[in-house]
Amino acid sequence: MFSYNFHLALKSLKERPALTLLTILAIATGLGLYTTVKTMSYQSGQVPLAHKSKNVFLLQMDNREVTADAVEHQARMVDTTYKDTLNLMQMEMPGVKQTFNWSTYGILNVEDENINPLRTFAAVTNSAFFTMFEPPFLHGNGWDKATEESGEAVIVISKLMNDKLFGGRNSVGESVRINTHVLKIIGVLDTWHLTHKFYDRSFSRARPDNFFIPYSFAMQNGLPRRAGFDCWAANADIARSFRTENTERLINSECAWVTFWAEVPEEKFADYRQQIISYMESERALGRFPRELVMYLTNLNDQLAYVHGRNQFLNTFSVLATLFFAVCLLNAVGILLAKFMRRKKEVSLRRALGAKKKTIIMQHLLEVIIIGFLGGVLGIVISYFGLQGMMSIRLYSSDYTVRVEDVLPYFQLNWTMIGHAFLTGIICTIVASIYPIWRLCNVPPASQLKSQ
Amino acid sequence: MLRMENVSKIYRTDLVETHALRKVDLHIKSGEFVSVTGPSGSGKTTFLNLAGALETFEEGDYFLDGHNVKGLSDDKLSEIRNQKIGFIFQSFNLLPDLPLFDNVDVPLRYRGMSAKERKERIEHALETVGLASRMQHLPTQLSGGQQQRVAIARAIAGDPLFLLADEPTGNLDSLMAQQVMELLEDINSKGTTIIMVTHDDQLARRAHRNIQIFDGQVSDIEKSVADDVIRSA
Repeated sequence: MFSYNFHLALKSLKERPALTLLTILAIATGLGLYTTVKTMSYQSGQVPLAHKSKNVFLLQMDNREVTADAVEHQARMVDTTYKDTLNLMQMEMPGVKQTFNWSTYGILNVEDENINPLRTFAAVTNSAFFTMFEPPFLHGNGWDKATEESGEAVIVISKLMNDKLFGGRNSVGESVRINTHVLKIIGVLDTWHLTHKFYDRSFSRARPDNFFIPYSFAMQNGLPRRAGFDCWAANADIARSFRTENTERLINSECAWVTFWAEVPEEKFADYRQQIISYMESERALGRFPRELVMYLTNLNDQLAYVHGRNQFLNTFSVLATLFFAVCLLNAVGILLAKFMRRKKEVSLRRALGAKKKTIIMQHLLEVIIIGFLGGVLGIVISYFGLQGMMSIRLYSSDYTVRVEDVLPYFQLNWTMIGHAFLTGIICTIVASIYPIWRLCNVPPASQLKSQ
Repeated sequence: MLRMENVSKIYRTDLVETHALRKVDLHIKSGEFVSVTGPSGSGKTTFLNLAGALETFEEGDYFLDGHNVKGLSDDKLSEIRNQKIGFIFQSFNLLPDLPLFDNVDVPLRYRGMSAKERKERIEHALETVGLASRMQHLPTQLSGGQQQRVAIARAIAGDPLFLLADEPTGNLDSLMAQQVMELLEDINSKGTTIIMVTHDDQLARRAHRNIQIFDGQVSDIEKSVADDVIRSA
């Protein structure tokens, strides 16, 4: 019976190709836009380090002066000072990992004369960065604590840079030069998919850094801190001096320019938190932390939920796309109704000759599933081009200061979204067909058999 | 084989109640050829729809092959139509885009028969109506009389208990009507019960028995007196 119903479904699809095509187009258009937005939403909602994101915390301590304005949300709270960073790193707690990072920049060069020098950015961090954030290595490894403490000139580079500078060969053991400093490559990262470059809190970009340098080397050699940071009025001159690439005065300042992370198991969270508070209290006794003691330990999930929730464009667009899909489905209901009701005489005859209602339902459901499947395929093609279009808009709106690699993951269809689109297409088409099929099945057979 | 006891059918709207059939008592035995006559609007089609389990009724009982069909589910009624009843319509009701073979195949498909058995039955049914050589033709390639013969082949292919023919010659010229009638008589002579609604007195007279319906009420007339009644009508 299934093969017969399938055969009838195919025949019926071919019977009125214009109506079939219209139904498929209605579903595909709605689904295409819906999938475009859902993909953007899904991709930007992806949480890095999903297996432990609830245990990875950003630490923020409010060290600002008394007159500073209140912050509207903890996500807006300042980063950590360098001296607090070093102090906290001394407080070891079993099972707890701590890392920190900031961004530097310089002119990078390699021995190969065919490669032009590049102006580049690099993440400055400690050895725990690699164990906490688990970037995949293609060759070599990150540096260890001993290397870090000795201030050795080592560097970890990305696959992208390894391909660009060394033609993709294993470059571990070779050197690069940043400004006048020669650094030995000890590790090459594989492609590292981060939906959000969370570790430096620049959530809008997906691509991690291309270079990772030990903080000890960066500090010893005066590598500058890139981008702005919070410095209080009393430290304004320090901030200005920093912009002349002088980090020395910054080390003991109250300027918060380090992003500090801790990986804390659930059972140790309370102890760790208390330890931070105790530290703040002891520093307060020394005249620091003049305001009411406020500190935040915010895990990755909560941070991303905040970032995602604030994406008004995506949220509004999501609602519009869902409404548009609903309108397209209503359209499909109308077309299917017209298509099916033209068949009421044939269905009445089949019912008179012994077809049960469920057989008629099955025949039409198969037809609808095929329509949904084709609508799904076309919808995915439309969403592919939709995502390309949205990415172009994103690049255009940034005046092309953002590179394709930085935002590509937000506009990429993956198997999850393709599967989601197929299922949505088929399920929604089935839902859209319930009323037309119900109407068709409830036409009294006798009413159609007498007429010519 | 077919017995109706006090069967009534009422069509209701918000304002009007129409008694299409009133307290019908009827018994049709196996192998009979029964004609049903009556003026337009008298209830013939309603009677045929009830007999064919295409409609339900409010009052009375309808026993088909010993089983009361009253209150049966829609699926069960479909099964009864498929297995026990063959339908022949005035307008043939063939599916225009299917070859004759596939048209005759429709009720057999819903019975879940094997491909081999279906093929044998279809070939035999089309042979019976004299169209075996044209089984791959489309209905539109046939004359009206031939189309009605295909409809008859479809009705008899499942070997039903009885055939319900609703003015089977109504759309045919007299020569074709004659051929179709002869075919029905031939089928009846082999033991298939036929209930035929007709406006044609001459055809009605050829049945064993005539049932007249006036204003929803059935008069069951035996063959001996049927001819006189029809003649004087």
